[in-house]
Amino acid sequence: MNMSVDPRRKEKINRYKAPKNQGQSGGANEDMMPDYMNILGMIFSMCGLMMKLKWCAWFALYCSCISFASSRASDDAKQVLSSFMLSVSAVVMSYLQNPAAMTPPWAS
Amino acid sequence: MRPVFAFLLLALICFASTKSESDFEEDDSDDFAEFDDGNFYAEPAAKNADSFSGGAGSSHGESRDDPPAKEPRKQAQNQESDEEDGLVEDDDEFEHFQDEEEFEGYDGGDSKDPPIDQKMLMVAGLLAYFANFFAGKAKNARLAQLWFSTHRALLDENFALVGDDGKAENENPGLIKESESLYTLWCSGRTCCEGMLVELKMIKRQDLVSLVAGLMRPQLDQAHIKIELTRGVMDAFVFAVGTKKTITKVFKEYTDLSKFCSLVGKPEDRYNVPTGFGVLSEIPEATSAILESRIITALNKYQSYIDYLHISDQFSGPIQQEEGGTLKQPETKAVLLAGFNLPKHAEMETIKPLLLLIFYLMERLKTYRMSKEGKAKSDKNRQRVEEEFLKSTHAARAEAAAQRREDKRKQEKERILADEDPEKQRRWEAKEQKRQAKRNAPKMKRLAVKSL
Repeated sequence: MNMSVDPRRKEKINRYKAPKNQGQSGGANEDMMPDYMNILGMIFSMCGLMMKLKWCAWFALYCSCISFASSRASDDAKQVLSSFMLSVSAVVMSYLQNPAAMTPPWAS
Repeated sequence: MRPVFAFLLLALICFASTKSESDFEEDDSDDFAEFDDGNFYAEPAAKNADSFSGGAGSSHGESRDDPPAKEPRKQAQNQESDEEDGLVEDDDEFEHFQDEEEFEGYDGGDSKDPPIDQKMLMVAGLLAYFANFFAGKAKNARLAQLWFSTHRALLDENFALVGDDGKAENENPGLIKESESLYTLWCSGRTCCEGMLVELKMIKRQDLVSLVAGLMRPQLDQAHIKIELTRGVMDAFVFAVGTKKTITKVFKEYTDLSKFCSLVGKPEDRYNVPTGFGVLSEIPEATSAILESRIITALNKYQSYIDYLHISDQFSGPIQQEEGGTLKQPETKAVLLAGFNLPKHAEMETIKPLLLLIFYLMERLKTYRMSKEGKAKSDKNRQRVEEEFLKSTHAARAEAAAQRREDKRKQEKERILADEDPEKQRRWEAKEQKRQAKRNAPKMKRLAVKSL
């Protein structure tokens, strides 16, 4: 397995090109988790805000955390930030409107 | 799959919190029951007091320890009550709710406590998540750096460029962080190949939900190596070996494997691969040439670390879903792909020979040449795949051609109409009519034949 000749070739250097289909559904190995969580977070935030469901708002906050943790470095940070702000505002608004304890979906 | 676990975890947290809440609610309801009882006894006493005081309603109001803020209102009420004694009872019926003495011993059941506890629970969950995030992130970074430092010398010996971020000036040569659990390394400048991309896919240690999911379906840290070979370096064939699970998965996923290869039955007997491994082969002689004794020894020795090896001159990525832009055959590349599991206890030295195996395979591909029969078979296979593709897209291509013709005619029509020369327009219309008639004529004939 030892190579006697130096295999390096300076003239054959190619610079790194980031794959084009990054962030789209092109790659089979593409991790879709952050996108799913972003959408889920947005849906739950909306439910939390509109229907005043506290558990939805908390759920949204957790979703945006997961989305943040698994986001790509090349992803837009603004998207994660806006998802965070939306879910935090859902939590805050739902507690401001009604500071009572939250009721789970199956209790009502 | 993972989102499901996320739901489960969050449902668990919700359940735990609502359980504590329902406990509180039970307490509350008990408290109120007692309170009702207390009310039951307290009321007649108040009424009695009123009746004993007779018309002097002011006397009982002053005898109680009312909050000072209520005083002016009460004085006003008392003034009224001097005139209308009958209303006094109604006004004072709920007076005892504000009396602290009536609530002695009930302060513990404050109804604002449970939401605070729930909130605390949720916030504690968030804190735990973030604590795990920072710990997991640091561990992944450490593991990736360890892999890089272990293999650095070997990479430097083989590539003129190790670590590239793709920017005009290579600002930080080394690993590129794609996400908290994915690190990549680009190496280039070597014979036989255009470049090598190493992807270190770590367990998502930064994500608590994924970690919990991992308890049910254990995962491993993996290194995926993709080497783009120089055109013409290797002979034309497609081949893959790996764990059975991975092989069945990639067989369905990748275009080249699903089109050119077939799954070899009993590969343990035919090629001596370790048990639990599967082989996808296009040209049997090429497969046996690749799976020679040295490779087989390496496969046996590093069985637990090798996930798959995939060699192909027709690699075009995963199978594309039917879309509009599939009229052209996808571009193919000659590649050498490999997937390795990283050791569990960060002993990176144990898998260092695997990179040597990759370089050895590259050299082997460079020197190996198929026999004439093998070449003929591979050419036939490539032709067959191309024909199949052309056949499958025939209708779509015909449609596209018709569309192009239609567009061209429309353009011409617009041009003629824009031109303000009636003579020209008339001539064009006549020509168009003639063309339409010509087009319709054979159809008429066919119809006539049918009617007969």
